[in-house]
Amino acid sequence: MIKNYLLRHAQVFFYSLGQLTRTPVATFLTVAVIGITLALPASLYVAIENVQRLASGWEDNGQISLYLKQDVPGAAIEKLADKIRRLPAVSRVDYVSREAALAEFKRLSGFGEALDALDRNPLPAVLVVHPAAAHAHPDKLQALLKDLRRYNEVDIAQVDLDWVRRLHAMLELARQGVLILAAGLAIAVLLIIGNTIRLAVLNRRDEIEITKLIGGTNAFIRRPFLYTGTLQGLLGALLAWLLVGLGLLLLVDPINNLAGLYGSRFEAENLGILATLTLIGSGGVLGWLGSRLAVGRHLRAIEPH
Amino acid sequence: MIQFTHVFKRYPGGFDALRNINLQIRQGEMVFITGHSGAGKSTLLKLITAIERPTRGEAVVNGKNLLRLPRRRIPYFRREIGVVFQDHKLLFDRTVFDNVALPLIVTGADPHEVPRRVRAALEIVGLLSKEKMYPVTLSGGEQQRVGIARAVVNKPPLLLADEPTGNLDAALSDEILDIFSDFHQHGVTVLIATHDWHLINRARQRVIELKQAELVSDSGAAA
Repeated sequence: MIKNYLLRHAQVFFYSLGQLTRTPVATFLTVAVIGITLALPASLYVAIENVQRLASGWEDNGQISLYLKQDVPGAAIEKLADKIRRLPAVSRVDYVSREAALAEFKRLSGFGEALDALDRNPLPAVLVVHPAAAHAHPDKLQALLKDLRRYNEVDIAQVDLDWVRRLHAMLELARQGVLILAAGLAIAVLLIIGNTIRLAVLNRRDEIEITKLIGGTNAFIRRPFLYTGTLQGLLGALLAWLLVGLGLLLLVDPINNLAGLYGSRFEAENLGILATLTLIGSGGVLGWLGSRLAVGRHLRAIEPH
Repeated sequence: MIQFTHVFKRYPGGFDALRNINLQIRQGEMVFITGHSGAGKSTLLKLITAIERPTRGEAVVNGKNLLRLPRRRIPYFRREIGVVFQDHKLLFDRTVFDNVALPLIVTGADPHEVPRRVRAALEIVGLLSKEKMYPVTLSGGEQQRVGIARAVVNKPPLLLADEPTGNLDAALSDEILDIFSDFHQHGVTVLIATHDWHLINRARQRVIELKQAELVSDSGAAA
């Protein structure tokens, strides 16, 4: 009994697949529209994921820069650095002397010759404080920052984390935006599939009427349309996945180039397995739902007379 | 098998298609329904197949009260009735075999049984050799016989036909009648709506005549 049931479903599945291949142009157009529609939020998701991954690398390096007053002598700075190193919240302190800061600035900024014109070094010495891993949390960093500001030698103490946190807030905002966009586009996919199925139902009006006359239940009549819609949704999602992959492939070289300029080994990643399954699954569910809504509405209108 | 008591059918707009019909058809009978166009023959068949509902009165077919039959039960109710349509209602994008197989597919018959039963039905109507052909390539009489094969493939206890010989010449009509008579002899209840008196006279069976929505004569009315 169950075997027969599965066999019938398999028959309907292949029948629906056959129907799709019999009208290749129409099928391709529908699948292409669904694919492009789904590719939009999927690619934005990939972009945000990658930026977030990149930024999470920076967050671990959350560090505090202490800009020291100009008149503090080198020996005093060494002593201060040692004192800070002994704080439990601190894992490492790097001392960048005024001379080293100037040399680095000359090297990186390209203003080297302009600086030569100055008669004295305008840059302060800097102590770069790396907090211990256990103290990387933003609140604890703030506490550490407050402590460090108390030293007389410190002119300005700054957490380099603020902009990372702002970036994260922006990414979170973008992520919400993508969700809203995805919801809107999901409705668009529903309408696309619903319309395709509506036309298919109207095209097969006679067949539906005859099937009703010889005792076909609504579930029986609905089945091939549901398979058709679900298949179109799945194929559309598959196409979206390919489009995202293709887009990423085209961007690999520029991304590597850019990362190289920043001395980073960052590599852009495609959709993960879970995200891919979610994409394909949404395609299938949207296809099923869109065809279910359309068939339910139009099937009632077709009655033998 | 069919029991109508004071059945009325009024269409929206006030047109009476059937007025006060009392009718009993027992299992195994063969009955002709006749009358001019618009006399109510088609409406009567539509009531029996649950395409239309009676406005008033009691109509019982195959033990089901048509006034109270829930919509979702209608498909199962129709599986007990084989219907032959005047315009055949075949699917032109499918072979003769697939057309006849449709009622079996719809009822979820054992897939291994389908070919045997389809061929048995085609054999009865003499079209076994044409199972792979498409309906368009067949003559009117052959299309009608495909329709009959489809109506009986499920072995329904009740067989309805609406003007089954409407477009056929006398010789073909006789052939069709012979097929129906054959089913009747095998115990199937057969109900044929027609205004073809040649057919009716030849069959020598019970005749019910409708005139202007009313039943005016019944040659074999049950006591």
